[in-house]
Amino acid sequence: MDISQIVERISQKIESKGHPADKQKIEQKVRRLIDEFGLQPADAERTVLFDTARDYGVQLAGSSGPGEKKAINEIGPEDWVTIEGKIVALTGSPSPSIAYTGIIADNSGAIRFVVWAKASAPSLKAGTWYRFESAVVDEFKGALNLKIHSGTTVTELEEDEVLIPVITPLAELAPGVASVRAKVVQEWDATHDRMLQSGLLGDESGTVKFVTWKEEGKEKLVPGGVYNVYYALVDEFNGRYSLNLNTATIVPEEGDIEVTSGSATIQGVLVHVAPGSGIIKRCPQEGCNRVLSRQNYCPVHEMQTGFKYDLRIKGWLDNGQVTHEILLQKDAVEKLTGMTLAESQELAENNPLGMDEVFLRMRERILGRYLRCEGKEIDRRVLVNTCERTGFDPVLLADLLNRTGGETA
Amino acid sequence: MSTQYQKIAPRRETQFEREPARRVFAAELREIREQFRDGTDEKSPSYVLLPTGERCNRVFLVGTLTEKKRQGEQNMFYRARVVDPTGTFFVMAGSYQPEAMQQMARIEPPAFVAVVGKPTLYETPDGNFLVSVRAESVTVVDREIRDCWVLDAAKATLDRLDAMGSSPDSVNAAGRYKTDAAAYRKMVYGALAQLKF
Repeated sequence: MDISQIVERISQKIESKGHPADKQKIEQKVRRLIDEFGLQPADAERTVLFDTARDYGVQLAGSSGPGEKKAINEIGPEDWVTIEGKIVALTGSPSPSIAYTGIIADNSGAIRFVVWAKASAPSLKAGTWYRFESAVVDEFKGALNLKIHSGTTVTELEEDEVLIPVITPLAELAPGVASVRAKVVQEWDATHDRMLQSGLLGDESGTVKFVTWKEEGKEKLVPGGVYNVYYALVDEFNGRYSLNLNTATIVPEEGDIEVTSGSATIQGVLVHVAPGSGIIKRCPQEGCNRVLSRQNYCPVHEMQTGFKYDLRIKGWLDNGQVTHEILLQKDAVEKLTGMTLAESQELAENNPLGMDEVFLRMRERILGRYLRCEGKEIDRRVLVNTCERTGFDPVLLADLLNRTGGETA
Repeated sequence: MSTQYQKIAPRRETQFEREPARRVFAAELREIREQFRDGTDEKSPSYVLLPTGERCNRVFLVGTLTEKKRQGEQNMFYRARVVDPTGTFFVMAGSYQPEAMQQMARIEPPAFVAVVGKPTLYETPDGNFLVSVRAESVTVVDREIRDCWVLDAAKATLDRLDAMGSSPDSVNAAGRYKTDAAAYRKMVYGALAQLKF
């Protein structure tokens, strides 16, 4: 905190309005606020600047003073900034005290913004360029957010520059707003009835979870498709990022992306096969795919007359030190158990125990077996792509015999 | 029998972590004399302390089921002997482990079985100790899996012996059991020597 710099900045701003600045007096005020009142230097600077400006009857906010305009990617938390950008997303207000939320972008980047209802800003239109003067930047969970308050001047601009979004590799995502070019590598079961789609996006650098909430005009991405996703929200939860696509402009792209496998290989013994493994019934409603109960009850769509059969295994793979939850889908289950979906269905429909019979038979074939699984690891859970039995290894036997030191040890 | 031990790693309160199943030979399991709880909560996990220096809440073992007995009327349970290259495991499956009990009911000895279960230390009225395994599951397997397990258990035992003295649990074990590392290495050698290349 260099007070002389603060004083210099304040003086310059006052002088630029054509008034003489009393540096000594300014310094005194700044020092008093910082030393006696324990204010942060930035707060002290702001207070003294506005104080002094008022003394001279100078309007700072709303003035078209030079030098304050910043590129969006240069903005830091707690800045008072003026930016010019294009509103690339505008979403409805979540609360009466907020008029708009949205995303504004320039050629350097993009940032979320909130327009307070009290700001009495003009009505905003998506796709139009604006100048936000004296907006405040704050930070929440690592994501910057621009606050448009009553001291901010919002001006619509005439220009319509072509905006080229900056594409971020998935491995370098940070909370805030980002544009990515990625492939839909997985589509997951919706876990909430307001959820339109969730899954995994991947590019050469990594993968990230994405979610689209149900909203007018939102469409699902096609699994395997490659998309340019412009201005999606990057959220952080428990140290992991996810992309919220509701704000994003999505453009399908030709070509393919070599998605990094990001995979883990784990070995161990399958020590538990969890209930809900074996043959299951899924809800036939479009995009639902939830598992139905025995009575064909879907937690969202209630009683169903139809259903789709599927195979899956949920279990624990244990190497003696750590235990991973593993999740096998149909193909891996068929290969590991040697029971196809058709055979399992036949069994489930014609056996007095029904679906339980499939569970029991599969369990007898795989429980207590040594397996090697390869798949995507999230925490201690592995979504298994391929899975195979591991057999007796004579090389390991020789190694271990040597380690014991032999018979006379 | 209940001594407080220091935690090896801080538990993450937010996320459930399943206790891993340790690979232990019968000859080592038989020697257990220390059982304790991690924490004072009723639900805190209970461990036995292995002579080779690791806490153990769950075991995985593979051996030959040589004998099974049904016992009790109201509270029916199975008692079984499972033999590995170093000795015998006493395995129990009662009505609190319905899965294991039903599996056990269908198995005809002799058979190779894979057992996942929890070890418990009992003191008999005459002052003897008995370590038995309450099975969570019992599955019939083949010889190759038994051989894989012997390798697995041998490796785990040697790893534990190599790490003796480097963790609070292993320091406690060395003090409690006066563990003779050479004897355990010999046991492991004996088990491995029964396998064919």
